[in-house]
Amino acid sequence: MRRTIAKAAVVVAALAVLGAAWAHGPTRQKVRESIEIDAPQAKVWAVIGNFQDMNWLAGVTKTEGEKGNEIGATRRLTLGPGATVDEELYKYEPDMMSYSYRITAVDVKVLPVTNYSSTLTVSPAPDGKTKLEWAGAFYRGFPNNDPPPELSDEAAVKAVSGLYRAGLEGLKKKIESGS
Amino acid sequence: MLKLRAMRVLALPLTLLLGLGLGAARAEEAFVTNQLSDDLSVVDLATSKPVATIAIGGKPAGVAVTADGRFAYVTSPDAKAVTVVDAAARKVVGRVEVGGGPLGIAVAPDGATVYVADWYAAAVRVIDARERRVTASIAVGASPSGLAVTPDGRLLLSADRDDDSVSIIDTASRERRGIVKVGTRPFGVTIDAEGKRAYTANVGSNDVSVIDIATARETGRVHVGLRPYAVALAQGRGFVTDQYDGTVSVFDLATLQPLKRITVGDYPEGIEATADGKRVVVANWESNTLTLIDAAELKVVGEIKVGDGPRAFGAFLRRTE
Repeated sequence: MRRTIAKAAVVVAALAVLGAAWAHGPTRQKVRESIEIDAPQAKVWAVIGNFQDMNWLAGVTKTEGEKGNEIGATRRLTLGPGATVDEELYKYEPDMMSYSYRITAVDVKVLPVTNYSSTLTVSPAPDGKTKLEWAGAFYRGFPNNDPPPELSDEAAVKAVSGLYRAGLEGLKKKIESGS
Repeated sequence: MLKLRAMRVLALPLTLLLGLGLGAARAEEAFVTNQLSDDLSVVDLATSKPVATIAIGGKPAGVAVTADGRFAYVTSPDAKAVTVVDAAARKVVGRVEVGGGPLGIAVAPDGATVYVADWYAAAVRVIDARERRVTASIAVGASPSGLAVTPDGRLLLSADRDDDSVSIIDTASRERRGIVKVGTRPFGVTIDAEGKRAYTANVGSNDVSVIDIATARETGRVHVGLRPYAVALAQGRGFVTDQYDGTVSVFDLATLQPLKRITVGDYPEGIEATADGKRVVVANWESNTLTLIDAAELKVVGEIKVGDGPRAFGAFLRRTE
């Protein structure tokens, strides 16, 4: 019974998100993860600096988009059959080795968030290493009061921090192994 | 050139001016809602030091300090409640169960009535401040966010975010008297000291709507940065927090022309001018700081650490005399 209600709530939430992507919960969440990579900054930037290529993130099988790295550039990430994320670039600062983008469309079953924005920044770390930071700001997947557990604030934070950790660790391995 | 000469003339009495400025600023504090650390930071604006942290709970977001500085009312959407804080004693003295999703909040100039926007319902709840209970409800548009009361206390404005409009409510009859179409997704709403104009920050269309309150019409639009949150007024200028840009957009209130973008912390949200109009105080949600802006020079003059996720949505500055 409880499961059914929760499932129904997910469907309602998904519909609500599709119908009004602007609606959101009352509390914006933040996640900030970083990793040290044993490589020069330029090398790390070369891997992540192209908004039209997110193949460095495990799970992304395809990146298609328009307008390169211009402000307002768009991309669609394909994560699997029918699972896509649409994103738009709103800040691009190659001198600072940093850019910011937001999700314009995602199913909460793919990532349980709404009104998501995110920034990737490459900066120096001790001993010639590089620090890569991934920061996100977003609301939970359920836009209304009293969310089901899978669309709660906690679930949103867990999903995003898990994604960031896995993404950063994967990238570190990829760059340090020279592949 | 003109500026240089003005500076030279001012050079001598500068220390005197600074001294006066500090004296005036001493009489003000910021009551900042830290949504993620579930508390309220009290910051002395003269010394730029946090002086108290008050536990609130329920993910506090909105705040309204009374004109006499006695109370701060804080909304907690997760607790569905409004917390009453004795501002001088730094103590929670009451809690009002309001239901729904309380977010925006405003208090009448006489302090007798508190208005709370229910984010999930198209309604504003009316709290009797003395009895500390909800005594009435006012129908407004969808997802009411920011609230503001005119200086004479006669009108309440509600930014109805998901209707792209502002409701103008007669506070005596508690009925909606006008609906003003504005930009997309108005969030914060601010009324000027004369009670003539109101300004909404439109999150969806990245602009500010200027409203003539008497005629209930939008009379102007100002383009600002990405995802504007709220507007402050000082020195004949509007100051707007651009959440996604990490800037404050400044525009001229007379010409509605953009003047400057000032870089502040990340995801700036709540913003308010000090009573003397010399400073503008900004809460940076991501950076966990307050930024102080000199409203005349249009530059950052200070940064103060606060709790986690400061929103300070509403009238969060308190005069202490």
